[in-house]
Amino acid sequence: MGFDLLFGAVAEVMSSGSLIYVFIGVTLGLCFGVIPGLGGTTALALLIPVTYSMEPLDAMYLAGGVMGATSFGGSITAILINTPGTAPNAATTFDGYPLAQQGKAGLAIGASATASAMGGLIGLFTLLLFIPLAKEIVLLFGPAEFLLLTLLGLTAIAISARGKLLRGLIAGGLGLFLAFVGTDMITGEERYTMDFNYLWDGIPLVPTLTGMFAISQMIELALKGGSVASGGDDGITRRITDLWSGVAAVFRHWTVLLRGSVIGTIIGAIPGLGGTVASFIAYTSTVQASREPESFGKGNIVGVIAPESANNAKDGGSLVPTVAFGIPGSAETALFLGILVLHGIDPGPTILLDNEREIYGLIVALTLSAVGASIIGLLLARWLVLITFVNVHILVPVVIAVSLTGVYVLEGKPGDVILTLIMGILGYIMIRFDYPRLTLVIALVLGDTAERSFHMTQMISDNQMWSFMLGRPASVILIVATLLTFFLPFARKLISRRARQGA
Amino acid sequence: MKCKWIGSSLLAVMVAFAANPAAAEWPNDKPIKFIIPYSPGGGFDTIVRAFVPALEKALGAEVVPENIPGAGGTKGAATVARAAPDGYTIGIYNMPGFTVSTLTGKDLGFELDKVTWLANLATESYGIAVKGDSPIKTFKDLCSQGRPAKLSDTGASSTSSIVAKISFQLIDCPLVNVTGYKGSKGAMIAVMRGEVDGTLKPVSSLGKYADSGDLRIIATYTDKAMVDGAAATGEIGYGELSKFNLRRLIAAPPGLPDDIRKRLSDALLEAANSAEIKEWAAKAGVTLDPVDSDGAAKMVSEIDGFYGQYKDFVAAK
Repeated sequence: MGFDLLFGAVAEVMSSGSLIYVFIGVTLGLCFGVIPGLGGTTALALLIPVTYSMEPLDAMYLAGGVMGATSFGGSITAILINTPGTAPNAATTFDGYPLAQQGKAGLAIGASATASAMGGLIGLFTLLLFIPLAKEIVLLFGPAEFLLLTLLGLTAIAISARGKLLRGLIAGGLGLFLAFVGTDMITGEERYTMDFNYLWDGIPLVPTLTGMFAISQMIELALKGGSVASGGDDGITRRITDLWSGVAAVFRHWTVLLRGSVIGTIIGAIPGLGGTVASFIAYTSTVQASREPESFGKGNIVGVIAPESANNAKDGGSLVPTVAFGIPGSAETALFLGILVLHGIDPGPTILLDNEREIYGLIVALTLSAVGASIIGLLLARWLVLITFVNVHILVPVVIAVSLTGVYVLEGKPGDVILTLIMGILGYIMIRFDYPRLTLVIALVLGDTAERSFHMTQMISDNQMWSFMLGRPASVILIVATLLTFFLPFARKLISRRARQGA
Repeated sequence: MKCKWIGSSLLAVMVAFAANPAAAEWPNDKPIKFIIPYSPGGGFDTIVRAFVPALEKALGAEVVPENIPGAGGTKGAATVARAAPDGYTIGIYNMPGFTVSTLTGKDLGFELDKVTWLANLATESYGIAVKGDSPIKTFKDLCSQGRPAKLSDTGASSTSSIVAKISFQLIDCPLVNVTGYKGSKGAMIAVMRGEVDGTLKPVSSLGKYADSGDLRIIATYTDKAMVDGAAATGEIGYGELSKFNLRRLIAAPPGLPDDIRKRLSDALLEAANSAEIKEWAAKAGVTLDPVDSDGAAKMVSEIDGFYGQYKDFVAAK
């Protein structure tokens, strides 16, 4: 049934002149994605007033175009200059940037483009399949499951810091500490705000991430000099020949693609966790499942495919709560619902019945956008790669100026700019002393949810948390997953040692 | 579509000039900013957007809604209170929300008793909703389960949380208020999930989810029944509870000249009494309660007195 409506929506977008809105959205989304500090949320927030005078359906096409294109745009920056263009691309830097340094940026961009497009398609396909069950899926995840998911995420931190466990834990601990800053959700007390009103709402994600990655990376580059791909050896040519082998790599590693997409869809469907966590968990689980985990972080193409497929698949997932109850699954879907409100549509539990055209219009636009952005990206890759050969004296000021502007535009708070700079310096110190930066960011994201859902679970279970969780199937699955994540590496080590002894 | 909109506002401006050639430049110098201290989509946003066309017609001037969310609505409210008192900035205020905030000792960034009150647009009653298939049928069922009733809510200092805590204590009903849910919709979904017994929210917010059968309203904080199947607290012996409600008041900066205050107030009332707005309110389940400038000021001082009684309770949380 869902598919009939989908075909109707496809026919509608093709037959009218509305395709142009999808195209404008994709172009805007790519640009906002590429620029660090700006992302899909900023693009949509700036677009809201523009859509006021448009037909609701055209506004959906525009929004879908933007949403589907930003995360691929962001991967380009992540790969080329080690700076995630949008928050969810942070995990892509781990292996994307080493590839660029080795002169294989084309391979990485090819893989990222394909993984984004395929991930987007898989996510939306899953959404269409599960629309009839959307309500049940949303009701499956209560505070107990939120708490367990954050624990799973925090466990993944320890795993991701392979070989640098202590440093990973220190960075994670610092992130958790930062997550405590702000008003306590349960008691309303202020914590560690040091009488700054700015800190009332806590430490915001986008300025932290932009500082940690964009600013610190620019400091690093400026001090090093040269250009990104001037790693010293002269063997690097400016031609990109690997683009298509990047595309092929995605299909060769189809299990990675599928796992990334499934993780992206599931985490996308859970309001509040978002793409950064989705791509991080996709990355760590891929490292874990790999037979040669030590090859990651040095330019393993699989390390690009996993987070990028999760990234785009989460858009499909984040529409699950939207079609079920008219609530947003992500910051982008919140703005999408905002656009509906501006057009006099108040989203509620019957949104799928009342606003069928808009929802399916958005799904079609997202699909076209995921594929379209990747095609545009593949076509432009040849020129984009030249960025890695630009002298840092030109690159650094441009990136710093643009990302600080981006951070300011999002909420219009000068405090965000100052925080970005502070985080930039902290990030640079972490680069120098080899501490993982994403670990801090992930802990910051998870800390707030973890604490809140811990208190909530305590209250709803009458302080019988453990037996309460064991009575919920989704919770039990998450507990098992967390235990596996934690013990699998040890078990594997043990097995390989036994095997070696046996031989 | 844009051209049509510019055309009609131009026409409105021209009509206003023709009808009132001797009037001062206000309100036609520039558009009037109508500040909404919350993000698009909530009750305050919806009512402002519904009122703007009718208000433009009544004033003969351009009115532009602007969302300034942040700090629980105090950022937008402070923007209004600090603007120049020239009649070009007005805003919608959440009462008793801001009164409750001051009682908890929060610094609003402006003085609530100094702002100029223009009108009250709507008064929303609170209702308690349980899961669609819950065995709980009445308020009494909710309170006599052998354990405290569990309600879901957003923040511990949100208006509905405070109302829940005060009102349940007034009727001696033990309560565990589970806070931390994202938005009022998040709190309602917690009820559907079954982890709490119910939630206390304005009836207009509950309506859609009650219509779809996901929730069922068991009681409303009113004197007379307003929802089928839900008892009015006034009729089940909890008369004092109907004093708790949510008012959507319009305010302007302190020191607004009297003539402008009068004209804005009249225009707001004219809009509230127009056929379009009445029709919209009926459809959206909003209870219009138009009150003029003086009445609104009186309302605010009553709210102050009423919640002042519970000052210690609110401050202790």
